[in-house]
Amino acid sequence: MATTTPRSKTFKSPTKTPTTNNIYRKSYLSPSLTPQTPQTITPLRRSARHVSRRIDLGNEPIDVPENESKEEMNLIRKRERAPPRKQSVDDVSEKPKKPQSLKTPTKKTKVDSEVSFSPVSPNRTEKRKNKSEEVKKTKTKKRVYYNRVEFDETGFEIGDDVYVKRREDANSDEEDPEIEDCKICFKSGGSDDVMLECDDCLGGFHLKCLKPPLKDVPEGDWICQFCEVKKSGGPSQTLVVPKPPEGKKLARTMREKLLSSDLWAARIEKLWKEVGDGVYWIRVRWYMIPEETVSGRQPHNLKRELYLTNDFADIEMDCVLRHCFVKCPKEFSKASNDGDDVFLCEYEYDVHWHSFKRLAELVDGDSDSDQEWNGRKEEEVDDSDEEVEVEEDEESVRGDSKSKRGLTSVKGGANSRKGRFFGLEKVGAKQIPEHVRCHKQTELEKAKATLLLATRPKSLPCRNREMEEITAFIKGSISDDQCLGRCMYIHGVPGTGKTISVLSVMKNLKAEVEAGNVSPYCFVEINGLKLASPENIYSVIYEALSGHRVGWKKALHSLNERFAEGKNIGKEDDKPCILLIDELDLLVTRNQSVLYNILDWPTKPNSKLIVLGIANTMDLPEKLLPRISSRMGIQRLCFGPYNHTQLQEIISTRLNGIDAFEKTAIEFASRKVAAISGDARRALEICRRAAEVADHRLKTNKSAKSQLVIMGDVEAAIQEMFQAPHIQVMKSVSKLSKIFLTAMVHELYKTGMAETTFDRVATTISSICLTNGEAFPGWDILLKIGCDLGECRIILCEPGEKHRLQKLQLNFPSDDVAFALKDNKDLPWLANYL
Amino acid sequence: MPAIAGPSSSPQKHVVGSRLEVTGGLRSAEVNTCRKRKLRSDSAAEVSSSTPVNSISTPMKRCAVPIPKTSDEEIKEDSNGNLANPVISAAKNLDVESKWNPRDEEQMKAVKEALHVSKAPSTVVCREDEQRRVSEFVKSCMEQNKAGSLYICGCPGTGKSLSMEKVRQQAEDWAKQAGLPCPETVSVNCTSLTKTTDIFSKILGKNEFGRKANGSSSPLQKLQSLFSQKQQQSSSKMMIIIADEMDYLITRDRGVLHELFMLTTLPFSSCILIGVANAIDLADRFLPKLKSLNCKPLVVTFRAYSKEQILRILQERLVGLPYVAFQSNALEICARKVSAASGDMRKALCVCRSALEILGIEAKGSIDQQPQGPVQEYEVVKMDHMLAALSKTFKSPVVDTIQSLPQHQQIIVCSAAKAFRGSKKDRTIAELNKLYLAICKSSTITPAGITEFTNMCTVLNDQGILKLSQARDDKLRRVSLRVDEADITFALKEIRFFRNCLI
Repeated sequence: MATTTPRSKTFKSPTKTPTTNNIYRKSYLSPSLTPQTPQTITPLRRSARHVSRRIDLGNEPIDVPENESKEEMNLIRKRERAPPRKQSVDDVSEKPKKPQSLKTPTKKTKVDSEVSFSPVSPNRTEKRKNKSEEVKKTKTKKRVYYNRVEFDETGFEIGDDVYVKRREDANSDEEDPEIEDCKICFKSGGSDDVMLECDDCLGGFHLKCLKPPLKDVPEGDWICQFCEVKKSGGPSQTLVVPKPPEGKKLARTMREKLLSSDLWAARIEKLWKEVGDGVYWIRVRWYMIPEETVSGRQPHNLKRELYLTNDFADIEMDCVLRHCFVKCPKEFSKASNDGDDVFLCEYEYDVHWHSFKRLAELVDGDSDSDQEWNGRKEEEVDDSDEEVEVEEDEESVRGDSKSKRGLTSVKGGANSRKGRFFGLEKVGAKQIPEHVRCHKQTELEKAKATLLLATRPKSLPCRNREMEEITAFIKGSISDDQCLGRCMYIHGVPGTGKTISVLSVMKNLKAEVEAGNVSPYCFVEINGLKLASPENIYSVIYEALSGHRVGWKKALHSLNERFAEGKNIGKEDDKPCILLIDELDLLVTRNQSVLYNILDWPTKPNSKLIVLGIANTMDLPEKLLPRISSRMGIQRLCFGPYNHTQLQEIISTRLNGIDAFEKTAIEFASRKVAAISGDARRALEICRRAAEVADHRLKTNKSAKSQLVIMGDVEAAIQEMFQAPHIQVMKSVSKLSKIFLTAMVHELYKTGMAETTFDRVATTISSICLTNGEAFPGWDILLKIGCDLGECRIILCEPGEKHRLQKLQLNFPSDDVAFALKDNKDLPWLANYL
Repeated sequence: MPAIAGPSSSPQKHVVGSRLEVTGGLRSAEVNTCRKRKLRSDSAAEVSSSTPVNSISTPMKRCAVPIPKTSDEEIKEDSNGNLANPVISAAKNLDVESKWNPRDEEQMKAVKEALHVSKAPSTVVCREDEQRRVSEFVKSCMEQNKAGSLYICGCPGTGKSLSMEKVRQQAEDWAKQAGLPCPETVSVNCTSLTKTTDIFSKILGKNEFGRKANGSSSPLQKLQSLFSQKQQQSSSKMMIIIADEMDYLITRDRGVLHELFMLTTLPFSSCILIGVANAIDLADRFLPKLKSLNCKPLVVTFRAYSKEQILRILQERLVGLPYVAFQSNALEICARKVSAASGDMRKALCVCRSALEILGIEAKGSIDQQPQGPVQEYEVVKMDHMLAALSKTFKSPVVDTIQSLPQHQQIIVCSAAKAFRGSKKDRTIAELNKLYLAICKSSTITPAGITEFTNMCTVLNDQGILKLSQARDDKLRRVSLRVDEADITFALKEIRFFRNCLI
């Protein structure tokens, strides 16, 4: 009978690959099983199923074997993606069965769990012995960490998913049926009974208890008759869910308890034993059922869906009931016949932000498991202070964990470590090579490093007044209980410390918030240049406030609700919001609606929005529509260009403690910059370049007595920086080009006209060449030279097809040309014509 | 004086009391001190309920009054803060005005809040006339159950949106009294629409009388069909649509705006459209077709506030406060200045706030100077504070800006001033560079290169001193001066270096 049943594979767990721990599992599995499915001859007719009022299937003769408790039954989970397998069953008897669908040590667990609060459970020590080969000791100081622990005859290892008791009802349930009762006959299982699972209520039904009895497991979705009636909305009297027989307590399986949140599911992250009292502990990562999330159960949630959270807890091992199996969708679809404890997890749920994130699909590369282990190790070190890691043991642990990790993640299936990001601590951290660290920095190198624009200065001199004003503005706005929205417009030429001043003010404020002097606020920083389009600012603001990323239209709608109407969008709402918009002028659209909206919100009651706008343009508000400048208010702050004393102070503060510059050199650089632009960035760049020049000079000329940057270096740096590149180009062009340029300057002097033709220039060149004994190169070559100079934009010329009639014009002042060509060694006579 | 002070009088209160007293006339100092003994915390509530108007009427005199000194003993006593004085309750009734102390955070906060734009006053003063016209229009429409359209224009900050909010409430109240069905109101700020046509779906969203139209037609079509068919019994409900910043609806073909106004002309339309915008002639310019259909919207203009109006509004806002923070002539100068410049109420409020902040900083500074000083001044915002705030707002920053420019940029400005001295309006950058080089050469300064020169011109453009036009080539960009030449001369004449250049 059994050999002919099409449901042979039922007992084979498809997800279990034959691995080491599978072998291990065998040891505690119940010896064998006899898979039986009832062989009914009637063909499967789902359409013929009809609703009957009188379902009294319990009376029907079911041949129930005597040893019912030992009987195995098969709960078939059936889902549309997983067509039932039709294979012969005879090979199954040899196969090990999955532990959870077999007789499991439930009762034992029960006993244990009842004594769960006693510090030591008696059978632990002896268990420890016989599995010493599986347990890797990492270190025995205070805690001993394991990759695998045998507990109550069940092996738990990192990455396993388990049921965990909720503390409060640890003793509430007297029994834990491994297999659920049939919803109709209320008998659990039956020797040769296949149980069919309803896709809606997850209830189990014996095939033969159904009306009409089914011989085979139907294809596709199957919904029990009760649910069908419920769904169709028919009169409820037509079909009554059968009441359980008197006196029989309706036992619930763990799966039912979990889904009604009487149990928890969790994934084991770490296993350890406290050496002091010998208690086993695990660190678990919780799963959550959809009902427990903030959005509740959604229509698209599957019945067996769970969410992996980023919530961790350390619990005692006693709380663990037994294994369950949380799988990724792909494996879940295959695992239709794996018993009752299979769950699906596709998304990770962030308990703080209430956001969902799809878990990364599993890619099991060996290359990164090492790295992951490192990350883990750090985590462990962070968690427990007493723990000491020993270097020599680590290697073996690592190797072990690598194999185990690969294994467990395949088995656990829900996640690879790749999908995990908790905060930013590891992002961008790079190991600094050893040789760099031992290198002793010279003063000049230190100076170069500290003068880099990217280096954040420790203090900001010369902007105290402005910073005070900003601080007063923000404090005055947010300190009130009822925060009043305001705007401030900060303007100034580039390189005058606008953004950095605001940011340092915000940093100070943050410290004050932590100290409790200022009420908390949320700070959103936006750079207009980084927005793909001005409208995108809405999504950026919304994401910063709520943690969700939505399109700008929806974001605008939500922000309008929040600021204009005072509705809440996130949980951080009652806090005032400070919005810093750098490069405000880039938000100006054609009808300026973006700026209007942003500046209109602070004028609304309950907006609690403070806008700080930064731009270069002094008169931006005046350039905007009057309605916008009216809303912008009158709070302006001007960052003027630095004068030379300020620049000097800025550079000296940066170089504080580094003796690399002569005082006069700094003064020279700052005076030069202050005369032209007052841009601090440029002053720093000049000094840095001067340090480089000095470095080079000192390396080539070892005999120099002073190791400082002197005026000459600064001068050279300024020459490089301020002198336009065209001079360099003109100095290095070919001989004929130089003659060509000289002829043009000469022509300009003679005629006084800016524009000349190629014809005339060529004539001049020929006459010049004649008088100075140069060979006249010929028209073709001259034309080519003219075109080349035109390409470099040293001269402006018309397209070449006009040949000799094309008009030419110098692109730079003739003085520059004269300056560049004056001291030419090859052609000293050029100076005569300039 | 010490004898009078008694066991528990507060010197602060004491001082204020005596100050107030002098204004009122001659009374014995004894009575005075007793009167002023009261709890600070409940003073606000107490006083506001009594006669707050008084606080406005006598602020000027009060400041002029010299402040009597209190002895050190009193201060010590005060620090103990024995507030449970039986005299207090008796004193309360007599106390008309509480003191104003700019150092008191609570008071400062309250005044700032009263001056904040977002705090809508309970009644909109100085706009009664316009408001009446609008609500009469709405009422007449509702009475006759016919559609109509209204266009409201006015400069920014003249209370348009605020008045509309009030009109809306009035209309609802009036409808309740008159027994008419309460009108539905849709107020839309057109800047918050992502698409101009979204306004129709917004209107429709409020207008769903449970009917399900076929999903294929657009919201506009649905609205049109809704208003062109005879309505059932429930349709007597009017709908008021307030479209703020209506000019954002102007598209190239003016379709949306036109259709919106056309909704009111449909035979069974029941909507009252109120459009709000700045432009005075929006309806004439963009809706010529409406004129021919004889459904041109009625136009109500909100004129810029005059100085009396601004003064009144400011007083109205401050009248709710139990203390006097502003000198009345300070408010007046603010009103005068603002009304002369723009008549923008938002600006007036900002100026007042900024004057208040100046006072606050001053008060804090005086604390730092003499923290234990026996004499504590209770200053109100006076003329000089207000003038400082006004100058911060309205003063042209050109002179300061030019004076703080780097030297080379000053030379450029100087050469530009020379270049545009004649009738010439603009020049190219190359020409300006030539002038700049000339000045540099004459005073033996190494000139900056042409690229650097262009950069500096861009910075000056940002500062609003020069105006650069776009051109294909950097050298060919036209430059024109945006500030007055006299300003430049004035700013640069201080510097000896430029004295020769400008002649």
